[in-house]
Amino acid sequence: MLLDRTFDISTHDLTPAQVPTDTLRGIEQFLYREARLLDERRFWEWDQLFTDTGMYWVPQQHGQVDPFEHISLYWENRMLREVRIRRVENVRNWSQQPPTRTAHLVGNVMIEGLDSQGLLVVSATFQVSEWRLEQRQLAGRYTYKLAGQDSGDWKIQLKRVDLINCNDVFANLEVFV
Amino acid sequence: MIPSNEQIAALVRDDSVHKSVYTDPQLFDLEMQRIYGQAWIYVGHESQVKNVGDYHTTRIGDQDVILVRGADKNVNVLYNRCPHKGAKLVAEGDGNVGKFFRCPYHAWTFKLDGQHLSAPLKNAFEGTCFNPRHPDFSMVSLARVDSYRGFVFASQVAHGPDLKSFLGGVITSIDNLCDRSPVGEVEVAGGIFRVMQRSNWKVFYENLHDTMHARVTHESSVDAARSEAQSLGEMPFELLIMDGNGEPYDFWEKLELRAYHNGHGYMEAIFDPAAAERDEVSKAHFECLTQAYGADRARSILGMNRHNTVIYGSGSPHTVFMQFRVIRPMAVDRTLVEIQTFRCKGAPDAVFDRALTYANVINSPSSNVMPDDVEVYARCQEGNMTRGGEWISMHRYAGTDQLLPDGAVSTNGTSELPMRNQFAAWKHYMTATLIATESTHAA
Repeated sequence: MLLDRTFDISTHDLTPAQVPTDTLRGIEQFLYREARLLDERRFWEWDQLFTDTGMYWVPQQHGQVDPFEHISLYWENRMLREVRIRRVENVRNWSQQPPTRTAHLVGNVMIEGLDSQGLLVVSATFQVSEWRLEQRQLAGRYTYKLAGQDSGDWKIQLKRVDLINCNDVFANLEVFV
Repeated sequence: MIPSNEQIAALVRDDSVHKSVYTDPQLFDLEMQRIYGQAWIYVGHESQVKNVGDYHTTRIGDQDVILVRGADKNVNVLYNRCPHKGAKLVAEGDGNVGKFFRCPYHAWTFKLDGQHLSAPLKNAFEGTCFNPRHPDFSMVSLARVDSYRGFVFASQVAHGPDLKSFLGGVITSIDNLCDRSPVGEVEVAGGIFRVMQRSNWKVFYENLHDTMHARVTHESSVDAARSEAQSLGEMPFELLIMDGNGEPYDFWEKLELRAYHNGHGYMEAIFDPAAAERDEVSKAHFECLTQAYGADRARSILGMNRHNTVIYGSGSPHTVFMQFRVIRPMAVDRTLVEIQTFRCKGAPDAVFDRALTYANVINSPSSNVMPDDVEVYARCQEGNMTRGGEWISMHRYAGTDQLLPDGAVSTNGTSELPMRNQFAAWKHYMTATLIATESTHAA
């Protein structure tokens, strides 16, 4: 199920999209709100930003083609995201004492185009300062596939996180990037 | 001052060990000489260097080494050092050097077995002692390199037991890993995670067969997996492999812990992969192996259901889920783990999918299971720096293990036999009369 090869992870071969300034502003605010939910450890609300089938993906390889033939730092559906949330919120989460704290900075938001299903592909650069006992810096590029909702808001079908050091040696990564 | 053999021997008792073995940088340096400087240590798998000139860098103890495929198709293991100025010849990682190594500093070149090939403007050496055939002007190979079913090991001394004798009974885990392929071969595939632990390397080895920690240390991930399964109404594979740690004490007491000489051993499996409610993988795998080997042998291969195996000094293969966690000591309080995943050649794709999922969910830096392990190892490291006591207890079921000609087996699965067995090997390495270091080159 998790390695369902029918899930469309492609963020290339897009058709150009014209996005009005108001919509672009709305998308930027959506991304900032998403980052803020992570910073405030409001993980359940964060998870609700995804569609029911939405995936959270952090490749382990630069330019990784898919999560099916190569390991990924994260390749998580709702079930695995919920497991992660339940674990970091468990009272006996020894490795979250003290908890991980983050500050996300998201910028360079760009509209990339539409995928074959008509989902809007948006990218942004991020910097995350992460602290637990010691501080580290994570950085890279987000690529989202966003599904427009009837309410005028957005939901995430795919959040791809390309870290500049994706194939590095890591201390544990416990929370979402 | 270097501690005497008597002082070192006094650190290891039959049922306890002195905390300085985890915290003393001088003992760490001695381990690099007397354990990692002598024992057979896993370098990598032949499939990581498929073509002539392919290389993979790693560390044997405190030594940077290169695994490289030679022109004769054999694999060589060389120290990553140019004999001219000492520069590392290749950068960390994997690649292909072509037909020879070429130093990025002064363009000295070396064949793929390390032999000197050329240096620019040769006439400048005329009338000097420079001799391209003298070992001083070649890259240095590790003293002994051997391979078992594609798993390449090296030893930094010329003498000692051969690889097979060194591995002893634990070789059955390598066999079982390979036999799970209908053609008897595995290959490293899908990338390698690398995780840094802020603790001594020996803590990790002990933990691999520590059945008493699972439900305590891993309570957060067991609870998380179980509540998720409850809300889903089913327990898919991804949750099952987290749930296993939550078994009650009487479950662990019934498991078998097997110890072999040299610190090796294995632990009987805690996960039955066929128990996953939607698991079709085991059935397909069984059918595939039945075609290759017949049903009886297929049943015996898949029926050898082991959890972590320990090859002391090298790391921990997991035969069922096709992983090898390679353990590299970096400092007295830093340990690097390389997580290799294997593709079982000729087996159904789903077998690799399951291995990849196990790597992602259990062994990756972002695993929900491992952080609590890594946290308690670090707490041991820091706690042992205090003046709050000197000794570490390994008393559990001491004296009850059943001795065998090639090691021992627990009578109770919560025995601290594996720790006692590892420290017996440690003490032997650390106090044995050192094998005289010989020149690694024939005259």
